[in-house]
Amino acid sequence: MSINTVGVSDADLVRRVLAGDTDTYGALVARYRDRLGRYAVHMLGDREEAEEALQDAFVRGYRSLRRCNDPARFGPWLYGILVNRCRTAGARAQRRRQMFVRNEAALNGASLPAPLVDRAEFEDVVRLALARLTPECREAFLLKFVEDLEYEEIARLTGAGVSALKMRVKRAREQLRAILTEAEHV
Amino acid sequence: MKLAALFVALTLATRVAAQEPRLERLDSAARAPVAALIDSARVTGLPAEPLIQRALEGTTKGAPAGRVVAAVRRLAADLGRAREALGLSTAPLELEAGAAALRAGASPAVLTQLRRARHQPLMVPLAVLADLVASGVPPDSAAAAVLVLAGSVRDADLVEFRRAVERDIALGASPAGAATGVARDAALGVTDLNSSARTGSARPRRP
Amino acid sequence: MFDRIVAHLREPVRIDPALDERVMAEIAALRAPAPALLRRFLPLAGLAAAAAVLAVVFVARPRAPTIRELQFVLVAPQAATVSLVGDFNDWDAARTPMRPLRSDGPVWSAVVPLAPGRYHYAFLVNGSRWLADPAAPTASDDGFGTPSSVVTVSGT
Repeated sequence: MSINTVGVSDADLVRRVLAGDTDTYGALVARYRDRLGRYAVHMLGDREEAEEALQDAFVRGYRSLRRCNDPARFGPWLYGILVNRCRTAGARAQRRRQMFVRNEAALNGASLPAPLVDRAEFEDVVRLALARLTPECREAFLLKFVEDLEYEEIARLTGAGVSALKMRVKRAREQLRAILTEAEHV
Repeated sequence: MKLAALFVALTLATRVAAQEPRLERLDSAARAPVAALIDSARVTGLPAEPLIQRALEGTTKGAPAGRVVAAVRRLAADLGRAREALGLSTAPLELEAGAAALRAGASPAVLTQLRRARHQPLMVPLAVLADLVASGVPPDSAAAAVLVLAGSVRDADLVEFRRAVERDIALGASPAGAATGVARDAALGVTDLNSSARTGSARPRRP
Repeated sequence: MFDRIVAHLREPVRIDPALDERVMAEIAALRAPAPALLRRFLPLAGLAAAAAVLAVVFVARPRAPTIRELQFVLVAPQAATVSLVGDFNDWDAARTPMRPLRSDGPVWSAVVPLAPGRYHYAFLVNGSRWLADPAAPTASDDGFGTPSSVVTVSGT
């Protein structure tokens, strides 16, 4: 991080970029890369695709920076862009391969590794379990439980109503619990 | 029976050679056996390109046909063993690197462990493993070092690790010591594997 | 168990910082699409003479698998001709002749575009003498009589 961007607020950085200091956008990228990356990785389940979606989101963020109404809320605004990019990427991936299984019957037939002592296995199981949620449920779950956003904020980002979101999150929790309990007892 | 086998081999060779004009460059004594090996590989889903390149290398270097065939046969076997160790859905590049690691002296168990330790493509860790052993690092030390790093370190850093080890060896360290030392330092955060990973660019670097 | 899942998902994820450069490169291309420059990575194949490296950046959208341009360098003061030969050119000695970096200087160079992968290669000097790359890893011996070197191009 450059010496003249440490401690500088997002709003100030955004203003500098809008004033013509393009290089400063890099500081915003560095600031949000890992945080947004976390959402993208868990949402898409594939690091390479996550990085592509992330790169895409950052570039679009730059191109539409003027439309960020409140520079102080650059972060949440960028989140919205990323959520959209992940939806597009997810839809594309679904057409390409059958990673996101939604058929309940098929789910129960698949075996899961046990016991869940090994960290790498646990990560695998969580990733597979997430993959089994519908994209809407997974999205809502990650935004609420991992990114800690309020329902009103999630509603703004996703365009869904608050009660629909609450139902999706509830469903996601139930499914994850069910899948992982099953995994423990195999 | 022998004639029939010879006939089949020649037919196969003709078919493969038709699909693969590069084999025309081979010594006539090597062409049929190599074509048969390539055909077997294709049939079992192993990549053919590395076999073709190996045959071309031997041919260009003027090696006798027997040596060329032996090298291709050995590589085909290594690719098969790599696939057993790494899994059926392993990508061709990973199989090639895995074959190289096995040929260099790594055990199949190490390959399997690497597959478990790292959820990203394995081509670079396997290549680094092969290269380290080729530099004289004992297979166990090389395997241990790569396994320690593979779970958490990026491809570019693994390549830097290999370079750092080779630098140390060039400066007089024992290969085993160099590998263990650099790996330990990297794991402790003492060495930033990243420090020389990137070359210059036209744009001023961000600190 | 659920808490464990959430705790795991909330753990920080480390994204390759190289992403920043790719983003900024893409942005730069948006603003100035005309110039196209090339980035080369130099395998340390010579001495300090290798400091004759040119470093220029190719402005495009680097996506895996990326084609990288690699510069191969050999110090061969006695050579009249040098060829780079390897898996990437079907071991055809005619395909990649090397050129001296400075006229009749001892440093020979060739730039080759490479997709991710692991490649055997060697230098052929004066049409008859095979040399491995002194600063690259050696390939396992195939009994061909002369050693080859290895270069690995990663996908990231």
